[in-house]
Amino acid sequence: MKGKLHGIIFSYEKRSGLRELTESRMPASVPFAGRYRLIDFILSSMVNAGMTDVGVAIQGNYQSLLDHLGSGKDWDLSRKHGGLRLLPAFADDNVVGGIREYRGKMEALAGVRSYLEGIRQKHVVLADSDLIINIPMQDVYQAHIASGADITAVCTSNVESDADVTFFRLDDTGRVRETLFPLRDRTGCHRSLEIYVLSKELLLNLVDECMSHDLASFRGAVLQAKARELHIQSYVWDGYAAQIRSVKEYYDRSLELLDPAIRREIFPAGRPIHTKERNDASTYVDPAGVCCNCLVADGCTIEGTVENSILFRGVSVAKGAEVKGCILMQDTTVSRDAVLQNVIADKDVVVKESCTLIGHANYPMTIAKGSKV
Amino acid sequence: MKKECIAMLLAGGQGSRLYVLTSNVAKPAVPFGGKYRIIDFPLSNCTNSGIDTVGVLTQYKPLELNSYIGSGQPWDLDRMDGGVHILPPYMREGDKGTWFKGTANAIYQNIGFVDMYDPEYVVILSGDHIYKMNYDKMLEAHKAANAACTISVLEVPWDEAPRFGIMAVDGEDNITEFQEKPKQPKSNLASMGIYIFTWQKLRQALIEDEADPNSSNDFGKNIIPKFLAAGEKMIAYRFDGYWKDVGTLESLWDANMDMLSRGDLDLLEDSWPIYARLPSQPPAYIGKSSLVEHSVVTQGCEITGTVKNSVLSPGARVEDGAEVHYSVLMPGVTVKRGAVVRYAILGENCQVEAGATVGENPENCDPEKWGVTVLGPGTAIAAGETVKPKTMLNSEHKEVSR
Repeated sequence: MKGKLHGIIFSYEKRSGLRELTESRMPASVPFAGRYRLIDFILSSMVNAGMTDVGVAIQGNYQSLLDHLGSGKDWDLSRKHGGLRLLPAFADDNVVGGIREYRGKMEALAGVRSYLEGIRQKHVVLADSDLIINIPMQDVYQAHIASGADITAVCTSNVESDADVTFFRLDDTGRVRETLFPLRDRTGCHRSLEIYVLSKELLLNLVDECMSHDLASFRGAVLQAKARELHIQSYVWDGYAAQIRSVKEYYDRSLELLDPAIRREIFPAGRPIHTKERNDASTYVDPAGVCCNCLVADGCTIEGTVENSILFRGVSVAKGAEVKGCILMQDTTVSRDAVLQNVIADKDVVVKESCTLIGHANYPMTIAKGSKV
Repeated sequence: MKKECIAMLLAGGQGSRLYVLTSNVAKPAVPFGGKYRIIDFPLSNCTNSGIDTVGVLTQYKPLELNSYIGSGQPWDLDRMDGGVHILPPYMREGDKGTWFKGTANAIYQNIGFVDMYDPEYVVILSGDHIYKMNYDKMLEAHKAANAACTISVLEVPWDEAPRFGIMAVDGEDNITEFQEKPKQPKSNLASMGIYIFTWQKLRQALIEDEADPNSSNDFGKNIIPKFLAAGEKMIAYRFDGYWKDVGTLESLWDANMDMLSRGDLDLLEDSWPIYARLPSQPPAYIGKSSLVEHSVVTQGCEITGTVKNSVLSPGARVEDGAEVHYSVLMPGVTVKRGAVVRYAILGENCQVEAGATVGENPENCDPEKWGVTVLGPGTAIAAGETVKPKTMLNSEHKEVSR
């Protein structure tokens, strides 16, 4: 497996249902699970499978993502050869100045065509950056080789999603017969997790063909249009997977992590999720503090009451404050006697003394980065 | 390549008074304060003080320490020019290679390393102290006094002075006399084992000391008295922050408890960060029926029981109904259902099975028989077993006497 698979992660701006959370960043760098960013999960899945070369196609407001990924050192991807490569569009002749939203993956790939040519590995895995998963990528690769398929598509039998996602209709052999989106009646269908394995050679041919025909969408121009011509094989993954595409989804999937069974699936022994290290001391729980059913990252100070919540690194909850069903991102400060329920506070939010903020479990209140309430 | 000041960190000692905790690792690699190892403190102090070249002298069981330090990246000490260097004893021309005979001999054997950077000054540090200190301020004092040697000192209570190396000083803090563990101390300024030397002076003294067959080649016993006898300018640099030598089990436990109280040693205070190399683990989970009070938790911890006045390291688990009081749980320790741990230090990956009891509160115990209970790394305590206070077990579950 080592050295046989190249990763490309798409992280360009799409219309996002993540609202305030993506005001100052792309979905890829939205904080998740107390100390991670969304992109850490797919990136770690690749690294844990022995992949050494990963390109991240970026476009849009990517400052926060650049800051997070840095040289790739934290994922062991700062290498003499290969390693992590950030790929802003650099060969896009069609667009003056290169600043417009990519219409789809094929356009994003065309934008970095010269990079694709230089790929050292025979096979490429394409993936989205907003997928929470911990998948043994080497198994997907081996299934791809064993089936002899042109493209292997990872999908799940869980078809629930309100977002713009892709569905497959499979035949008895697991071959993808139809690609559908959007789809109302999803009976018997599978939902794509947007992880695809194919050869570098096929990828380059598809990119060229799509560009010649001004086709931008991978799922439209390739999966949908070429279902007969190409052997597209499914790889069904019924382990944990979540596509974070709305605030509600973000909130529910975050709080779901309080379930030990789900944590075990996302954080199994031997396949760690890597992330950018910060230097925080351990979290301190004061005698006055109450902390119950919470996921707590390092560097927090808990003097108030925190229940059913997720605290990111460096959060402080002062005496008398009450935090329930909340997600408090990095360095949020909750002052004395403040009350927070069903709130998502983005980085550096300050909630002042005795302030009360109450959202609903079905519609959590989101507070934008750096706000002082 | 020339540097104004480099640091030499003495990390080769066995730390025999930590007994089972150092049976397989050097003392500086012993975990501390949840996320750290002892050596993180001097290394972080160096990087925060602007010292970018550090030689780490290793000798006793260095494997874990070496891999922990690695490239030095967590401390920002992976540099093109300088950075952190591991310095084990090595063969020299002929068959002259020997183990480090003493602290001074360790530096003597690495004169070549220091000369590579041709520094004006060298800071000599120990790998067994917990403190946050700006060496640059000490260096300024050294330069301002035009001293040959500056020794960092701490005011200790007079009745404790006989336990330390004591520096007698004149009105301008010039050191006039050095007393090692004196019965009648002439001052209450204790040496912290942190020295700054003007390198050329130290270099000369080391060469002379090596030529003396009667010398035990030790800084405290030989080099400092030698400088005094030669009438070199030596000053005491007064430090007033938190400092603790964690060379004994009691002081290691004490220092962990000091950290919890967040007085002088507040690790959450971020103007002087302490860096560490850490495994990637998810945030701590504190469960529904758990009670956590006056304790620190960190990544990888899973707590569904009760934890009070304790320090938990990465990956520590305390299950339902289990209780941990006034204890230090090192990385990967598991305390299973209904087990109770009191006043104890549990080494890495210890397993305390259901219903076992480790240690006891001092108030429930004959003071003579009470002490901190210590389990060496990897010790397994069977279900329902009782480990008495002050007991120390090694990884084979054999009792070790202090």
